[in-house]
Amino acid sequence: MTATSAAALPESDQVRPAPRRWGAPLWVGALLIVLAFLVIYPLLMLVFGALSDSNPIVDGFGAFRPSVKHFVDVLANENVHLAFFNALAACGGGTILAVAIGLAFSWIVVRTDTPFRGFIAGASMIPLFVPPLVAGVAWGILGSPKTGLLNTVLKWIGIDFRFDFYSMSGLILVFGIYYAPYVYMFTASALRNMDPSLEEASEVSGASAFTTLFTVTFPLIAPAILAGSLLSFVVMLGIYGVPAALGAPANISVLTTYIFKLTAWSPPLYNTAAAVAILLMVVTAILVWAQQRVLSGKSFATVAGKAFRPRALQLGRWRWFTFSLALIYLFVVVVLPTLALVIAAFRKFLFIKDFDALFDAKAYSWVHFNSVFDNPLTMLSIWNTMKVGVITALVGGALAFAIGYTVNRTQVSGRRSIDLLATLPVAIPGLVVGVAYLWAWIGLPGGLYGTLWILALAFVARFMPDTVKALSTSFMQIHRELEEAAWICGRGLLGTIRTIVLPLARPGVVASMTLLFVLAIRELGSSLFLYTSDTTVMAVLLLDYYEGGNVGKTAAFSLVQTVLLAGLLGLTTWLSRDAAQGSARVG
Amino acid sequence: MTRKHMSRRTFTATAVGATVGAAAGLQALPAAAQTQFGSKELIAAAEKEGQLTFYTADFAETQQEVIKEFNKTFPKVKVAMVRAPGGQLIQRIKTEAAAGKLGADVVNHSDRGLMLDIADLFQDYAPPNAADYRPDALVSPKLWPGATLGWAIAYNTQLVKNAPKTWMDLLKPEYKNKQIGQVIGPSGGTTWTRIMFERQVLGEDYWKKQAELGIALYPSGAPLSDALVRGEVSIAPLLYNIIYTKIVEGAPAEAIFAPEGVPIVPYADGVTKTAKSPNAAKLFMNWRLSKEGQTFMINKLGNITSLKEPPAFPKGWDPKTIKVWVPNFEQFDKLRATWIEEWNKTYGYRQ
Repeated sequence: MTATSAAALPESDQVRPAPRRWGAPLWVGALLIVLAFLVIYPLLMLVFGALSDSNPIVDGFGAFRPSVKHFVDVLANENVHLAFFNALAACGGGTILAVAIGLAFSWIVVRTDTPFRGFIAGASMIPLFVPPLVAGVAWGILGSPKTGLLNTVLKWIGIDFRFDFYSMSGLILVFGIYYAPYVYMFTASALRNMDPSLEEASEVSGASAFTTLFTVTFPLIAPAILAGSLLSFVVMLGIYGVPAALGAPANISVLTTYIFKLTAWSPPLYNTAAAVAILLMVVTAILVWAQQRVLSGKSFATVAGKAFRPRALQLGRWRWFTFSLALIYLFVVVVLPTLALVIAAFRKFLFIKDFDALFDAKAYSWVHFNSVFDNPLTMLSIWNTMKVGVITALVGGALAFAIGYTVNRTQVSGRRSIDLLATLPVAIPGLVVGVAYLWAWIGLPGGLYGTLWILALAFVARFMPDTVKALSTSFMQIHRELEEAAWICGRGLLGTIRTIVLPLARPGVVASMTLLFVLAIRELGSSLFLYTSDTTVMAVLLLDYYEGGNVGKTAAFSLVQTVLLAGLLGLTTWLSRDAAQGSARVG
Repeated sequence: MTRKHMSRRTFTATAVGATVGAAAGLQALPAAAQTQFGSKELIAAAEKEGQLTFYTADFAETQQEVIKEFNKTFPKVKVAMVRAPGGQLIQRIKTEAAAGKLGADVVNHSDRGLMLDIADLFQDYAPPNAADYRPDALVSPKLWPGATLGWAIAYNTQLVKNAPKTWMDLLKPEYKNKQIGQVIGPSGGTTWTRIMFERQVLGEDYWKKQAELGIALYPSGAPLSDALVRGEVSIAPLLYNIIYTKIVEGAPAEAIFAPEGVPIVPYADGVTKTAKSPNAAKLFMNWRLSKEGQTFMINKLGNITSLKEPPAFPKGWDPKTIKVWVPNFEQFDKLRATWIEEWNKTYGYRQ
């Protein structure tokens, strides 16, 4: 993508002033009201729950007897300490790996002449589309120390080494490879939007390509790297499926599995779970604050009013090396788990005595697919999921654009509060946020409860941080001078957004809406409390299959979901390419 | 075979009705079916309502089979299902009820303790065959054991050469090193029933001796049954219905009922006070609790029953030797917290 030059803007006889003064407070007020409904109100319910033994709807606010008992219990419980440190280790290790992979990939795809870059870019996003539970199940099938397919192959070859993914290193590895796309999304869009003249200057001054990469390129996209790693870290903190499938057999507990236990025990301890969730929010708040402190006072604008073309580094023979690196990653992250799922989906039972048993044709059939499609809920859930995904992507995308623009491109007072509020939901694990939404919204007049809209609103709120952060990176890189040029040429605020900001941020907007769609389709925690028999969604059905102990049906349904999502991926890649070409034409 | 014989006898009156009913509707239902499932008026009113909403904490697939079978007899009453794990379902029911938006007409839950806490949400209801049920399976006159599950010992037939035959066999040193898998004690009412049985019937030191072997722990029965079939563990105490359908489909597994006793878990199901389709709800409950409904669940789903005289028995169940063990409900509630804590310590489970 390239920048729009001021010369391309329409002329105007009359120079209009920048946005009128009275509009700003109204705008900020409107955003705050929306955020109050989507974030503050449910969070207050959560705080209310954490500070009492009551359910705000069942017992009413009159029964509220504030007490810090749950916090004290949680802080004093050594199992919580252990879960906390396990979570930090797994997510910290996972983030480091995700940054290494994501950054390497974005560089390979955007800034080198590695062959088949488009294919690599598309395929490397696939892990993002895999529900964490499915990823956990797939890697359990591959890397279980007793029955893992990888170990079956090693045994057949005669190698003594055995993989054990039921371990902390297994968790870190799976986290790292599955959340690398988060880092990739941020850094690829930053690299794409970066003016290569800075790198050229470095190389003209005698720096090697390698030195330039580490002294110019990566420091320049530091906000994207930081935003990507922060987001992947907090998202990992909130993931249940992977540690549930891989950590549980080794008795490795993390905060989410601990919270799930709290809600799954009999009787369920929602108030304690709310207290743990609030502690998680504090951790996230600290991380966000640290990120802002690191970035404050620095300018990362790399898209200015000067036209440029993206530059691809000529790697020569080394381009086949980068290509094979990409292939290895794709093999590990896409081919292997998909193969595991395919085997699980088509095999009647997943008991594989030895390597030869893998090729016993009699053991394979369509039985799990038949049974999945015999289930009347399957088609209903697919249709509902698509509808909720589209609503979430459109409403959430528009809201995130409004918030991202206000926070990053204006100086209105109150924008920091908006930023903070939009970031808060990231830390709350799905199951807890689900009950908070239920508490908050069930009592509202009107027919919201029981519709697909309540699910969509919960997803919009829950994934607002992801979407806003993804968009903010695009906004941060568009230099103010472009908008100023538009104002000078007589465009109003909306006109400037429409003709300057939106086209420039379009890849980011499309990426954010895709992300939102994908996250909405995968989301389980908040769905579980808000779905009804008419509004059941795929994630809920997937949990049914998993909880029913049928890995075959779980795998079959996961493959159905993956195929649907792959179709969407193709569509958005095509849209992004179209957007990039459109922008290039403007430039 | 006993099972075949029993089911044929039970179905004699209703099977014809079911078939004809499916084809021609209510008018064709024989009188016997009408008494078994409710009065003619109830059936007519239920069919007029035409639908009901069913909340369940059981596996969705299992309950869909039940609904499908119910619809063979009553095709005009559609059942919409909402399924969530136990604790989460209770939370949802409480909140919906408080907001005046309880969607359920019928609730099906395995934890009698949790259901007793919200018994006020349910209306007075008794099935036509109420007197046929064991009194010790009931915790409230409003709540009925629509389903009853029993604990069996399952093993992977490809991995276990010397299969266990009793609960005491699960203490043998030959099964050490995580060959045995177990569901964690605090997972819910069903597992609590089993570990209570182990301590009260098999001995105070049963847990300790077993834990010394090294046990693989699982959060719930379903993933454990999957692990057993895959060969992650070789032996596991499992609710019979979880492993039964897999065995029928040809999985390399087998399950036995141990002679020391079969701990059973009667569910607590009820019709809500706010049911929008109260007649359909009662008809559905009547059918589930009827001999026909119970027979179907025993034969096809691997359930047990809380009927005093079981209309059928699961495979391998010899009524002469096998004793059913129902927990004393007072102790079930009173001992729970302290014993679960001790279990956690014994098995090294971090709660």
